[in-house]
Amino acid sequence: MVPPDVPVARAVLIAQDDVRRLCEFLYRRTGMSFDDSKRYFIDRRLAERIAATGSGSFQSYFATLRADAGHEIEHLVNAFTVNETYFYREDHQLRCMTSHLLSDLLRRKRTGDSIRIWSIPCSTGEEPYSIAMWLMENWSEVDNYNIEIVASDIDTRALKAAAEGIYGARALMRLSRDMIERYFERIDDGRVRIDPGLRDSVQFTQANLVDGPDMTRYRDFDIVFCRNVLIYFDDTSRRVAAENLYDCMRPGGYICLGHSETMSRISPLFSVCRYPEAIVYQRPEATDDGS
Amino acid sequence: MPFIKRGASTPVTESKPGEATAPHIAALSSPDAEMRWGAARALGGVAAAVPVLAAALDGEQNPRVREAIMTALMRIGDEASVRTLLPYLRSQDARQRSAAIETLQALPGAVEPFVAALLGDADTDVRLLATELARNMPPKHATLVLCDLLKKESHPNVCAAAVEVLAEVGTRDALPTLKACAERFANVPFLPFAIEATIARISSTES
Ligand SMILES: C[S@@+](CC[C@H](N)C(=O)[O-])C[C@H]1O[C@@H](n2cnc3c(N)ncnc32)[C@H](O)[C@@H]1O
Repeated sequence: MVPPDVPVARAVLIAQDDVRRLCEFLYRRTGMSFDDSKRYFIDRRLAERIAATGSGSFQSYFATLRADAGHEIEHLVNAFTVNETYFYREDHQLRCMTSHLLSDLLRRKRTGDSIRIWSIPCSTGEEPYSIAMWLMENWSEVDNYNIEIVASDIDTRALKAAAEGIYGARALMRLSRDMIERYFERIDDGRVRIDPGLRDSVQFTQANLVDGPDMTRYRDFDIVFCRNVLIYFDDTSRRVAAENLYDCMRPGGYICLGHSETMSRISPLFSVCRYPEAIVYQRPEATDDGS
Repeated sequence: MPFIKRGASTPVTESKPGEATAPHIAALSSPDAEMRWGAARALGGVAAAVPVLAAALDGEQNPRVREAIMTALMRIGDEASVRTLLPYLRSQDARQRSAAIETLQALPGAVEPFVAALLGDADTDVRLLATELARNMPPKHATLVLCDLLKKESHPNVCAAAVEVLAEVGTRDALPTLKACAERFANVPFLPFAIEATIARISSTES
């Protein structure tokens, strides 16, 4: 049974050209690039939005979208994002952070200085909370510095869930029972809520990686985790994102990508650093005038 | 109390509204590389800025700013941006050539009308680079233009480059041309071998 407040997606005929227009619209706003091979994924989400807005046709839905009536752009973007994530995903990068990256960064810092870490995209929060937990567990210097963890995503629905911090078994699969006891409180049917102390260690904000003016709000990051989003972008959006991130980082700052993403194929702005645990990328320390 | 100490300063400031393009156009010729970098980035997607971006690219020495100009042209992605980038395929500087080819590769639709002419260029290096542009084209069309090249190409290195791209994107329509090419270059040690591998690849992946 469908609850009464959830509109049922009716079959609305969507022409190939309409799908292209929608994808183009979405691409311009998010950098995410969908082609015809993703028709099933696109059609399902589009049908949902058409139903949710009570639009009788693609044309009328597209007019609503272009006018951004009822914040439809936000709803559409939220519907098209893929939020898959879990705690301690690719934890070899977290290990690399505590065994190499931080000690290198500390060469330029004094006790009490800020260390700024950015999880973008953070999806529903598992990644930034994992960073905080990992630091608590594995970094003896954690109390000697001002660690600022900022977590951002384009998806407002995911950000809301992140701030609520309620998780089920799937998100927790990589965590030991011990860790779960320490950082979560059990609520019901296998779900847990993140400890308020941990939740307050992370600042959640909305940000769009491919929006230059939006990204100027973020500066001076020492470590950026930008994992598993560039796979949804085309070459142009990847380069735009890389340039935006460059400006958001301190010289000498590090960036970690997802395992199937390589900066070398995107942009030469960063240098490659190979550590035993992971390959990461660094914004060069010196300015590059004339070189 | 948060577990992790957090600085009191708010790290996030208000979003800046989109600005007019005129100041960015002026900043493109600033002596300060940071200004030029910011300007190039702000002009991404602004089609009217292609002529100034083209002029800036011509004289720009800073590699990071060059990258940003290329990205800006990539974002515009129209015929004028493609025309701006094409001359760099003839550059003496290998880095400039590969930056241009990478940018053009990201614009398969806009580049398509130029590919046939590039593959027929008098300069061997240009023909060789142009085979890369076919990689992102629809397979049928890529096969067509690369086979047209193979039928008349006299330089084995250019043929080898085309064969390599066909191995990735070619359709069965390429098979007769590939066979003929292998016969034509029977004396060149590496080419028939590469062609054989490509024929095997295409035959096994496409039914
Ligand atoms: C698969 S999740 C990755 C989460 C986490 N980084 C991880 O690796 O587990 C991808 C996220 O990218 C976000 N996203 C997509 N386009 C974005 C953009 N232009 N700016 C910021 N976030 C974006 C989506 O909302 C989604 O939450």
